[in-house]
Amino acid sequence: MRHGAGIRYALLGVVSQHPEGVHGYALKRHCERVLGNFWQLNFGEVYRVLDWLSAEGLIEHVLPDAESSRKLYRITEKGRQSLDDFVLMPPTDAPRPLRQELAVKLLFAGPGRLPELLHLIDHQREAYMRQLSLLGVQRRRLARSQLDAFVTQLLVDGAELSVRAELAWLDDVAQKLTERFRPSA
Amino acid sequence: MIEFRRVTKIFGSGATAVSAVSDLSFTCPRGAFWTFMGPSGSGKSTVLHLIAGLTPPTSGQVLVDGVDVAGMTPAESAALRRRRIGYVLQAFNLLPFLTARENVGMPLVLDGVRQAEVDKRVTEALAMVHMHHRADHQPTHLSGGEQQRLAIARALVIRPAIILADEPTGNLDRAAGRQIMDLIHDVNDRTGVTVLLVTHDPVLAAYAQRVLRLVDGALHQEMALDEEPDDPTAPVLH
Repeated sequence: MRHGAGIRYALLGVVSQHPEGVHGYALKRHCERVLGNFWQLNFGEVYRVLDWLSAEGLIEHVLPDAESSRKLYRITEKGRQSLDDFVLMPPTDAPRPLRQELAVKLLFAGPGRLPELLHLIDHQREAYMRQLSLLGVQRRRLARSQLDAFVTQLLVDGAELSVRAELAWLDDVAQKLTERFRPSA
Repeated sequence: MIEFRRVTKIFGSGATAVSAVSDLSFTCPRGAFWTFMGPSGSGKSTVLHLIAGLTPPTSGQVLVDGVDVAGMTPAESAALRRRRIGYVLQAFNLLPFLTARENVGMPLVLDGVRQAEVDKRVTEALAMVHMHHRADHQPTHLSGGEQQRLAIARALVIRPAIILADEPTGNLDRAAGRQIMDLIHDVNDRTGVTVLLVTHDPVLAAYAQRVLRLVDGALHQEMALDEEPDDPTAPVLH
């Protein structure tokens, strides 16, 4: 979703929330505040997507007044229709693969490597706990802000649930590895 | 400050002896917010009982602000619990025939604090948990989340140095549980009370600055989570 339709429609969606038009810089800031946890954008990327949206006739440029040279982006009727269609279309994201790197390590490690494998799992668990901690920071920050962050809250919920599942999986892997590889007394 | 020095706690004896806590050492600074995480039976609750002096260690020392809890007389130990430690449990343990205000004030009344002071501190504690508008309600007329807020106010009313919370959201749905965790986080932040919280839920454990994972009573892993991103707008996940 990072470089696909998702990002194009995320930007189109944000433009649509500014009926009076929005500058590229303000647009990027808005995206970062609302979606920053999930998408990292650089200016080049933002402007490439904006060019694409203009070429497709989904947004248009306006100049706020004669003196200003800063372009404002505004959604077109066609853009609004396209956004509606996108919102109602089923998502195309494939499910995220489980921690592939850990899976590969597990595949090639023999019984003698149990302590190292458990250590890897601990390491991975700590990374996930940090993610949860940062998601919590993000959640509290959004709750305090004036932004309408409804969708972002939903994304944070989703991210928390998936990290929780990964952690449960790690516990399971650790337990099963131990049963399988620990020398029986 | 709470310090465990090679603490072991064994319940029972002989063949049926169960080691609930096994050679556990840590030093928790004043004002910290830590969680103990682990599966049920991993010794998490026993750690809290040891701190509160509800059970003595089999070996090792538990120090609260430098004083060995096991060396206290029963009166000293009771005073520690009454004046310095607020306990929050999964079951709210509110008295159904008393109002919210009376429930929250109970620890002070039992400690012989005069009524004017009780009133003042109850009002302050109810405000801290955002329950002042419910002061005259009875617990049975309140939601689970509100009842737990009262239980937290009852823990705060003594102005404790330490709050021990044992699965405080275990009886609540996720939204109410999260509000309680937000509240505990906020109270730790604003009052500097040390919080030690037990949970099996990683999402809740991640509210803390540090997570200690116990397996079979032993410290299996210690995770520091207190690094916040410098830039508030910076993305925090890949």
